[in-house]
Amino acid sequence: MKKYLYIAASLLVTITMQAQDRKMPKQGPAPSININKPETFTLENGLKVMVVENHKLPRVSFNLTLDNAPFAEGSKKGVTDLVSAMIGNATEKISKDKFNEEIDFLGANFNFNESGASASGLSRYSARILELLADGALNPLFTQADFDAERAKIIEGLKSDEKSASAIAGRVQNVLTFGKEHYNGEFTSEETLKNVTLQDVINHYNTYFVPGNAYLVVIGDVKTKDVKKKVEELFGADVWKKATAPNLTYNDPKDLQYSQINFVDVPNAVQSEISLINLSKLKMNDKDYFAAILANQILGGGGEGRLFLNLREKHGWTYGSYSNLGASKYISKFSSTASVRNTVTDSAVVEIFNELKKIRTDLVSAEDLKNAKAKYIGNFVMQIEKPATIARYALNIKTLGLPEDFYENYVRNINAVTPEDIRNAANKYFLANNTRVVIVGKAADVLPGLEAMSAKEKMPIFYFDKYGNKVEKPVVKKEIPAGVTAQSVIKKHVDAIGGEKALKAVKTLFVISKGTIQGQTLDMVSKTSNKGMSSTDVTMKGMSLMKQIIGDKTGYQTSQGQKKNIEGAELVKEKKEAVPFIELALLADKTIVLSGIEAVNGQDAYVIQVNTSKYFYDVKTGLRVAAENEAGEGDQKRKVMTTYADYVDVKGVKVPYKTTLDVGMPLEFITQDVKINEGVTDKDFE
Amino acid sequence: MALGTMAMLGSTANAQKVAFEEFDLDNGLHVVLHQDNSAPVIITSVMYHVGAKDEQPNRTGFAHFFEHLLFEGTKNIERGEWFKIVTANGGNNNANTSDDRTYYYEVFPSNNLELAIWMESERLMHPVINQIGVDTQNEVVKEEKRLRIDNQPYGNIFKAIKQSLFKNHPYRWTTIGEMEHLDSATLDEFKAFNKKFYIPNNAVLVVAGQFDNAQAKEWIKKYFGAIPKGEPIKRQKFEEAPITSTINATWEDPNVQLPMTLAAYRTPSMKTKDARVLDMISSYLSDGKSSKLYKKMVDDKKVALQVGAFNNSQEDYGQYIIYSLPLGDVSSESLLKEIDEEIVNMQNNLISENDFQKLQNKFENNYVNSNSTVEGIAENLASYYLLYGDINLVNTEIDIYRSITREDIKEVAKKYLNPNQRLILNYGPAKEKTAK
Repeated sequence: MKKYLYIAASLLVTITMQAQDRKMPKQGPAPSININKPETFTLENGLKVMVVENHKLPRVSFNLTLDNAPFAEGSKKGVTDLVSAMIGNATEKISKDKFNEEIDFLGANFNFNESGASASGLSRYSARILELLADGALNPLFTQADFDAERAKIIEGLKSDEKSASAIAGRVQNVLTFGKEHYNGEFTSEETLKNVTLQDVINHYNTYFVPGNAYLVVIGDVKTKDVKKKVEELFGADVWKKATAPNLTYNDPKDLQYSQINFVDVPNAVQSEISLINLSKLKMNDKDYFAAILANQILGGGGEGRLFLNLREKHGWTYGSYSNLGASKYISKFSSTASVRNTVTDSAVVEIFNELKKIRTDLVSAEDLKNAKAKYIGNFVMQIEKPATIARYALNIKTLGLPEDFYENYVRNINAVTPEDIRNAANKYFLANNTRVVIVGKAADVLPGLEAMSAKEKMPIFYFDKYGNKVEKPVVKKEIPAGVTAQSVIKKHVDAIGGEKALKAVKTLFVISKGTIQGQTLDMVSKTSNKGMSSTDVTMKGMSLMKQIIGDKTGYQTSQGQKKNIEGAELVKEKKEAVPFIELALLADKTIVLSGIEAVNGQDAYVIQVNTSKYFYDVKTGLRVAAENEAGEGDQKRKVMTTYADYVDVKGVKVPYKTTLDVGMPLEFITQDVKINEGVTDKDFE
Repeated sequence: MALGTMAMLGSTANAQKVAFEEFDLDNGLHVVLHQDNSAPVIITSVMYHVGAKDEQPNRTGFAHFFEHLLFEGTKNIERGEWFKIVTANGGNNNANTSDDRTYYYEVFPSNNLELAIWMESERLMHPVINQIGVDTQNEVVKEEKRLRIDNQPYGNIFKAIKQSLFKNHPYRWTTIGEMEHLDSATLDEFKAFNKKFYIPNNAVLVVAGQFDNAQAKEWIKKYFGAIPKGEPIKRQKFEEAPITSTINATWEDPNVQLPMTLAAYRTPSMKTKDARVLDMISSYLSDGKSSKLYKKMVDDKKVALQVGAFNNSQEDYGQYIIYSLPLGDVSSESLLKEIDEEIVNMQNNLISENDFQKLQNKFENNYVNSNSTVEGIAENLASYYLLYGDINLVNTEIDIYRSITREDIKEVAKKYLNPNQRLILNYGPAKEKTAK
């Protein structure tokens, strides 16, 4: 027996040991890293060259970058697109066909554009690759035929993105954030392309493709000595004349004074592109740079960021939600983005705001900060010894004006960031009250919810077309489901508030309500009879403000001491409405029309047109949620919207307890008491 | 051509050979180690031999769904912790799914190898598959589909092609699958899928980068060795009857404005030499500005905004696809005519010696680049072992390309690229619905 116990005990030990064995392993000692620097030299014309030798694979890459200041192209926007499209097509020495043929023959990859050029291939061809790169970049042949062909292609190419929600979003975000006149906000269109001439292309190239701020980075299986000789021969001052591109200054755009929604209707969209934006002036050499990038990492840096965990993992609204903080020599932006299905657009915006507010208010936990630091340091450690990183970091130090020891101090500076630093950076760089919310989506699906959210959060909505021009609110036609008619809508309403039988049993209705407008209290007493008679009396502190009587054969209205009779056609019309439940009459009225579906306070409602009035019935509940009537005469004539809410059951009949009149400002009445079939006599209507 | 260039052709490429070591655990898990100490980085990846083609026709999208589900947590990793652990240790990770396989990987600073091995073994040994995870990822996958397919111009091209080229083979459905199938799947079905395919004897583990060989092996045995072997998977073979007359199809996409014309051919498995010849043909037709179709249609005649050819090679079959966007009012027929002219030319004449040498150079360059990152090498090793059945191809596939002759190109073009063997797809804008 004891033996078995032993075995059982030892089994237990193994089992527990195994379970312990599967605990999360601890990190090993941190790997040591070396920060290497490239070999560098500068040519007489200003071109700076950096070489990182790496002989692991028989390949080489050359990368020429022109670090010119940004500029706006204005009415000729697209001149840079054209320079990029034309440069490298042919050179003054080699025809287009021969040039392309040779590039492809080498099996190499080449890329030329208005702000640089690059090439990569097998190192055994490195000399020829560099020759072709220099020839293509420095001796481009710009011809009218090529210009016409490339312009036609760019114009056609614009069409391929015409209906893409993400392409539209990208354009509109920049137009609205930076303004159309700004180099970040302007965009290429067929119109601006047509303003560009071949001479513009040539002038642009001559002005901007200069060595003053140029860098050539060489990485791979080459010898620095050989590269230097070849570069001096191909890019030297006698070939590439010394010059510097213009450095223009622009007025910085401003952030919004209060948060607002900018909506663009794209009817074919199945997802909304959401972006919450403010401007960023963060630079990499700012003192709070490290705190700012860590704050962004915690907020929305990846699959472990708060935005992702909230919008994707908790709610399943999106494939991913991230934030992005620009850090540049020039003005850039901070944005929090998500592509979400149409119906959750408003909720997603609210949640993104919540995360922004949270990181601005609450200190981040020690664990969150530790994880964010680990990610940055881990990536740094993994990248630092790669040849491309060595070159990129060296280039950053030069072009971004960073201290020479920026990367030596990188890990230390990351580690020094505190939770307070994160909160300060979040408050400085992530705005929550001056946010531009750009939403590109399908208005028919998105707007009802968005309008309700807009009202609740007091954040106005402005509408734009897909080029960022202000437009009217899009008219959304919603399809009425099959089988729904004006009569079925009325029937549903009647059933929803008690049924035909119960409503018919109501002979008189007596309602006492209290209203408020601009801090003043109003009392309203209204009585109606199913014989087509009504009386309404509004008083303030016992003084009559307005009184209206619709009697058996006569009617009148007094307002501020003046009396006016209601007679003729007007009386006939008023009498129709002077009933406890107008829908009882509408049930059999063949002249009413179901004109569509519109949103009322964010909820879809059927619209029933009755002469010049409109009644709105909630699609889901059947309750009347609003009415639009004409009031006044002649020039004074205007439409008054009344909304109804808080239906309460009174003796088997549902009556709205909250009625709001829009008279330029909301006039809200709360019902105090409702009496059915009591307290009303025909005398009340004389 | 410049004399200098000719002179340089003399030397031969000397791409570094990828050295690796492989062994099996008792439970059938195949392990591959590739050491590269040039940077303090370690890649740990597992490729499972399960993809969209292993799904039931009424449960499409399962394989890709697992790529989401298996980040939800394990017995020892709580829900929502996976990404945090990776980040907290300075790494990054991801996964992807094709019709043939599912691939998971972590990239860490090299002091986290044990952690990475543990995480991947946790995923295989005892993932938590529950209703919360299924419900959340169901919504996420739907958003992924909207983002990548339904809201993207030309997002449904593969769906349109696959359903026409395949009638019997599971390649007929898309990798992301039908959302109704995912909606109607039960938790037990997901669990059964996991039990069937996520077993050590259906996977390859690759560790690549800076590590200590003996230590790595010890950890692999410790964490993966404890996982029991699974029931061997019986795979059904699906054969397609040859296409003998042109299939015509149209697709309306509300996100596009320019109509795209496509010709798609069903081609043999990526494991065949013919598939590699088709890769070369793609290059010949549309890779680079001097390629035949680009030069003629975009540059010279200016009838196309874009033209491209590519061989979507897969384990059982491939799809050879040529597509073009018109410039201006050029008709679909005239684009096709231009394309066909070049194909017929290839079928009747040998390509020039110069074009042939150009192809050799391009493939040499591709080969050097394909093994240029440790991440790339890890994935190549896994694919060559698991899908191609020959891990040595990581070093020798270039020899297959080198062995291809001009005659091979002509024969393969003749064998597969005939008008009666293809689908013609007109992929255009949605027509405005007439108002009722």
